[in-house]
Amino acid sequence: MTDQNHETNRDLQPQSPRNPVGGELDVAGKSLFEALRISFIILKIIMIVLVVLFLASGFRTIGPDEQALVLQFGRIRGVGEDRILEPGLVGPLPWLHWVFPYPIDKIIKIPVAKKVNMPINSFWYPEMLPPGPKRRIGIPEALDPVKDGYCITRSEKQTQSISASTGGDYNIVHSKWQLTYQIDDPERFFKNVYIEDVKPGQSYFDVITKSITPFLKAMFDDVVVTAMVHYTIDEALSSQDIIPDDVRKLLQEKLNKIESGIKVVSVELPDTTWPRQINEAFLASHRASQESQKAISDARTYAENTLGEAAGLAAEKIAQARAYRTKIVETARADAEYLQKLLPEYRKYPELVVQKIYLDAVMYILNNVDEKMIIQPTKGTKGTELWLYFSRDPELKPKSKKEQSP
Amino acid sequence: MKNIAIVIFIVLIVAILGLYLFSFQVRETQSALVTTFGKPTREITDPGWKFKWPAPIQTKHPFDSRMRVFEGDLIETETAERVPIVVNTYVVWRIAEPLGFFNAVGTVREAESKLLSQISDTQNTVIGRHSFGEFVNSDPNEIKFPQIEEEMRIDLQQAVANADYGIEIKTLGIKQLKISKDVSEKVFERMRAERNTKYQATIAQGNAEATKIKADADSKKTELLATAEAKAKAIQAEGDAEAAKYYKMLEADPEFAMFLRRIDAARETLKERSTIILREGSWLVDLFKGMPNIEPRDPNEPK
Repeated sequence: MTDQNHETNRDLQPQSPRNPVGGELDVAGKSLFEALRISFIILKIIMIVLVVLFLASGFRTIGPDEQALVLQFGRIRGVGEDRILEPGLVGPLPWLHWVFPYPIDKIIKIPVAKKVNMPINSFWYPEMLPPGPKRRIGIPEALDPVKDGYCITRSEKQTQSISASTGGDYNIVHSKWQLTYQIDDPERFFKNVYIEDVKPGQSYFDVITKSITPFLKAMFDDVVVTAMVHYTIDEALSSQDIIPDDVRKLLQEKLNKIESGIKVVSVELPDTTWPRQINEAFLASHRASQESQKAISDARTYAENTLGEAAGLAAEKIAQARAYRTKIVETARADAEYLQKLLPEYRKYPELVVQKIYLDAVMYILNNVDEKMIIQPTKGTKGTELWLYFSRDPELKPKSKKEQSP
Repeated sequence: MKNIAIVIFIVLIVAILGLYLFSFQVRETQSALVTTFGKPTREITDPGWKFKWPAPIQTKHPFDSRMRVFEGDLIETETAERVPIVVNTYVVWRIAEPLGFFNAVGTVREAESKLLSQISDTQNTVIGRHSFGEFVNSDPNEIKFPQIEEEMRIDLQQAVANADYGIEIKTLGIKQLKISKDVSEKVFERMRAERNTKYQATIAQGNAEATKIKADADSKKTELLATAEAKAKAIQAEGDAEAAKYYKMLEADPEFAMFLRRIDAARETLKERSTIILREGSWLVDLFKGMPNIEPRDPNEPK
């Protein structure tokens, strides 16, 4: 064996000039080996990097207005409250979570805190275009069930006799609504409510909103129709709180019943109106209530005035009575006292006292009298006539007073 | 060492490939059906990690089991007493049994077209059973709107169950309740009449109230004045009574008292704006006729 080896060696010996060639091959092999080794190392590094990247791809952030569910092999991970990941408050990076990368885990983020506002115009008539010279369209005589949105409201009880003849017991009212909702149970919402697949470039939130809009709108419309038949048109036109509240409760009940995980934040009724076609009648009716209000307030004013006047009159009457009382009592007393005072004198000199009083009075009277006349009847003039002109001069009295005053 | 690493690597790859071939996930939002050589063999309604034979042997058919909404058309139908009404019904439905759905329906689109005709049937049947007064009524207690909706849901659920569509109707509702064009004109007429009645009633009511307020005020006024009158009379009577006490004092010399009273009355009456006419013969006029002939009396002469 060794010999043979030797021989082979010997055989090779003569080819010694080729020896360098054999050495080159060896070098090439070595460098190949080296290259392979390096690339293997690189491959290893790449693989490690890939594994690291793969694992790192499991890091997920949850925004402050989101909650998340983790699907592990398709099933929601965790039990009870642990099923829902929240943007916690503890830890160095509370918004950061790690889940097993695809295909084991999948994180589903649900925007729970976002309130979405949804105007609902399905019960409103198509508004007219701004009036232009050619665009002016008259109000149609009737309501088109396809184009015009409206609700049916019940009639008031006493109008049954009217309704019986025309075969209907209801009114028509237009209304505008505003719904605000939010997702409050992410698990139920995710499990039960159909959401379109999110295509690249679309925001998940927009897709959710778009997907549930028809769903919510249908249910909302249903609830409005149901609620409105229980109210009269006047209740619908005047109630700004009762009906929306009713609608909100009914809608929430419906949403809870099908476990939608959606919460109705608020329902508003910004506008309600009667059909344009019967505008005049409603305006007249509106005026009527104003008129009757005016009649009532006028009556109240009248009542106030009357009572005030009456109170004044009554007070005056009583004051007059009091004055009368005072006067009569005082006069009587004065007379009595006067008499008492004069009586002793009078008893002593009756004629003198009487004369004095009498003449004093005559003097006083004649001084104050405006005009004095003396009539001297001639003999045999029985039929003399005397003419007196009363109140000839209304200025007479003030004049005389003026003359007297200085 | 190197070999072991390679072996592990290969095993891992094979295992992963194997898992891809032999298993699949059913998501929380899905249900699924597994067919063996095209024949449905397994229905999966709970989510999770499931196993099956690879593709040519067993195939998986996942279905989205979440609730969807579907709206019917706006259709005119008739109530029990043949009153036409226009309604639009929507349903919230989901695929509940993948097997039934796979066999009888297949796709969501197909399901919707089946639902459309079913909804229309249900509408006609259920609404035809109820009178218009149960939809809207002046007496709110007569309104059976929610009950009618529930009845429709049950009817539709029954129909899809009978047809074995594998569909569950979660909820159903009437989202539009309307009337035809012609009827709306009649309704307007009636509403006008109603408003007119109301107008008159409002005016009458207002007037009645106004009248009542006025009448109340007037009667209160009368009452007040009567009371005041009575009180005034009482006060006057009081005064008269009090004055009467003093009159008694006049009885000391009634004649003289009367004279004083007359003098007072004359002073009072002829105070101003009066004209006095003196006849010849009165003492005042006599004064102008000549000097009076009087002499001082002898103080010693007896009276």
